[in-house]
Amino acid sequence: MALILLPLVFSLVAWFIPSNITRIFGLIASAITLVVSSVAVYFFEPSEHLLIDFGLRFVRFSIDSLGFTMLLLTNAVIFLVFLGNFKRSITNEKRFTALAFLMQFGLLGVFTTNTILGFYIFWELTLLPIFLILYWFGSFDKPRALLQFFLYTLLGSLAMLLSVIGLMHATNQQTYEALLAADLSSLGNTSIFLMGGFLLAFAVKIPLFPFHTWQAETYTKAPTAGTMLLSAIMLKMALFGLLKWVLPIFDGVATDFWRWPIITLGIIGVVYGAVVAIRQQDLKTLFAYASLSHLGLIAAALMLNNFDTNQIAVVQIVNHSIVSIGLFLAAGIIEQRLGTRELGQLGGIAKVAPRFAFWFAVLTFVSLSVPFTAGFIGEFFLIKALFSANALTGFLASTTLVLGAVYMLKAYQAPMFGPTINATFEDLHWSEIAVFAILSIAAIYLGLAPQCLTDFVAHSLPQPTH
Amino acid sequence: MDSIVILFISGLLGLFVGMQKKPLFSIIIASLGLIGAGVAAYFKGSYVSPFASYAAFIPTQGLVIILLCAVTLLAMLGGYKRYKSDDEHTGDYFALILFSLCGAIIMAQPNDLMLFFIGLEILSIPIYVLVGIEKGSSRSAEAAVKYFFTGSFASAILLFGIGLLYGATGSFQIIEIQSNLAIGIWQSPMAIIGSLFLLAGFTFKIGAVPFHFWGPDVYDGASNAVLMYMSTVVKIAGIYAIINVFGQVFRDSYAFWIDLICIIIVLSMFYGYITAWKQTSFRRLIAYSSIANAGLMLFALADIHNSNIFLFVTAYALSTIAMVVVNTAVNDDTDSLANWEGIAWRNPLVGVALVLALFSLAGIPPLAGFFGKFSLLWSAAPHVPYTAILALIASVIGAFVYLRLMISALKKPKVTLPIHLSFEQVLVLVLTSLATLGALYFI
Repeated sequence: MALILLPLVFSLVAWFIPSNITRIFGLIASAITLVVSSVAVYFFEPSEHLLIDFGLRFVRFSIDSLGFTMLLLTNAVIFLVFLGNFKRSITNEKRFTALAFLMQFGLLGVFTTNTILGFYIFWELTLLPIFLILYWFGSFDKPRALLQFFLYTLLGSLAMLLSVIGLMHATNQQTYEALLAADLSSLGNTSIFLMGGFLLAFAVKIPLFPFHTWQAETYTKAPTAGTMLLSAIMLKMALFGLLKWVLPIFDGVATDFWRWPIITLGIIGVVYGAVVAIRQQDLKTLFAYASLSHLGLIAAALMLNNFDTNQIAVVQIVNHSIVSIGLFLAAGIIEQRLGTRELGQLGGIAKVAPRFAFWFAVLTFVSLSVPFTAGFIGEFFLIKALFSANALTGFLASTTLVLGAVYMLKAYQAPMFGPTINATFEDLHWSEIAVFAILSIAAIYLGLAPQCLTDFVAHSLPQPTH
Repeated sequence: MDSIVILFISGLLGLFVGMQKKPLFSIIIASLGLIGAGVAAYFKGSYVSPFASYAAFIPTQGLVIILLCAVTLLAMLGGYKRYKSDDEHTGDYFALILFSLCGAIIMAQPNDLMLFFIGLEILSIPIYVLVGIEKGSSRSAEAAVKYFFTGSFASAILLFGIGLLYGATGSFQIIEIQSNLAIGIWQSPMAIIGSLFLLAGFTFKIGAVPFHFWGPDVYDGASNAVLMYMSTVVKIAGIYAIINVFGQVFRDSYAFWIDLICIIIVLSMFYGYITAWKQTSFRRLIAYSSIANAGLMLFALADIHNSNIFLFVTAYALSTIAMVVVNTAVNDDTDSLANWEGIAWRNPLVGVALVLALFSLAGIPPLAGFFGKFSLLWSAAPHVPYTAILALIASVIGAFVYLRLMISALKKPKVTLPIHLSFEQVLVLVLTSLATLGALYFI
């Protein structure tokens, strides 16, 4: 129970603590949630479910091993966000601290609830804090970009709401297990529409190719902490929803119908995102498009709905969180120290800030999926799965490796080793080093021993029937 | 029926107390009357009303009376500042509101069309007066006259419709009309035209497209205090009346009028929200938002056996009252939305209440507005799926309107002058916020 409610409590407490200890409070409170969830995972039997029932009608919780993975990931991300922004004024704001914990609460709800309406409620609940964080701490000169993000998401969510209503009407069930057991084949084409509603919401959030237009602008204008929250964990809600809810429940006619359209969009995203990223001059925009490219690959592979691929997709989901926290933190550090993110105005940072250059390099390599990092395991197996489904798809997906190298090395090489433009650059603070170190260790550990994660989540991924 | 008696007596008492020119006494009398009426509605089980043959209440709808009384109480407290500024007439205003509420209660749940019409008039006439209480303002006078003329015209059309139905079926009693229509009379031209006239009258009363034109001007001309009452209670009473009349009398011609209703829903929502987008005056924005919400409310007709409208109208009323109370506190005569900039920073309660109200109107869980919309769509979506899809698209535009307002309110101002709220305004904002959050109970 504390697993889920703790962030909500912290979020309320944060409004009432004195301003000068807000920063410490955020760090310690997020560490507490992380520790509590780690202990819970330690004592958790992977083949079991942890049921949490508050006596509510529409919202109940049941945490399985996939839920625990995401829960741990969420708590870790929140902790790293607080740690990474320790030296910034944003963590000194009560509002940010409170909203970040509210966000954590919403995310935990999404990952642990086992009723479909609860999934929707928590999914929407996360919108509220992120909207306020982006608005208060972002640099949106006009609300247009922010509203665009919000309305896109809302349109998707409302389509999902209709689907939730339709699904509950059609099956007369609301819990995950009951929906899984329900037979949707009698619905015929209706199930295609129902799944379409879910997919629209997910496509906006992931984002898939034609629905991605909110992403670059929102990422650039958002505060670093907001971007980290958005890309490291919020987008994962959609992949999680696809993996846990939509694919198993709609397994059959609807999944077959949507498989290739979504894979196509995902692959277009992979190539398009990478190509556009190469042309970018702004670090954050570049990373945003890189994110589009990476997530397109995961979404496409998930649609194959293959038991082994799904396990690897979880590895890649975790890996993408690691990479995006690291890269956006690096971009944030550069922006904070130098006031610019334009590649043209950066150069020679490695000479004045060797520690930053080292850790940025590690993260760059993790992002490039070199062997012995989690990304290698993830991308290799996802691309392999796409190859066995269709050679052309696999070929296009694998361009991400080459194109990824182009834009990542460009983003790394020019600012770090280019002609010296930036003579002064304050090197990393201990908190930032800690974040980079944790991320690197996690990425390398997962790269060396991915089975610790794949075996863990395998217990809760449904075995496909065909 | 005893609720009505209590309201009426407290209204009369209020008139006499008002002569003392002590606004505090007037509001106490009126509040006690409202609370008494609510309690009476709650315990009405053992009491047989002398009017029972005319207006037998459908059992579950004691809840509607409680809702109407509670909303009126909030609206009254929220507008108290304005009412007491004119202490010579405070008692009169409250009496008018209570009398009008009697009409609303009669109208909301009739079993006799004649009685329903009388209720409608009792509801409307005091409001014609209330709209014009800003005697110094020509806009207020214009609004009152406009509302009076168009309202009387709509009433006449409605009465004409009732007359035609009487001609077709020979009765005013809803059950008799229904049983007569059921044997096939509903296809006679007289009954069909009658039902269309009724629909037109209802659409006018709740302010849905295509009979919405009075809305913006009247809302704009009325003072904030009156706006709080008329944008909530009239709509709630109207929507319950339309549910009872159409859901019972015209049950058999459902297939005939549901398409019309769908068209009205879609037009109202798109028109209301798109027009609200560009408004610069707060009361006009509320007017257009209420047109769109009237459209949403009509979804209750899609499933006549199970119209889950209660939560939605509650959420709508709470949010609207909270917003208008805030507007009363921050805005001047110009009623410009520009004055809303940064108000959340000037008073934390205003900020919290506004965020809750606007997110609730936009339908974000876990607030009341979400559960309202959800329960409404829950029963309606299987019957009118395409309208539901269109309505959701319109809702996104609506969210845009509310978020724009919120963005402006949350903008950090350069200088922060604190907003001073009077005691009753604080009370109203706290109550509306708690109630909006209280929807968590339904999870």
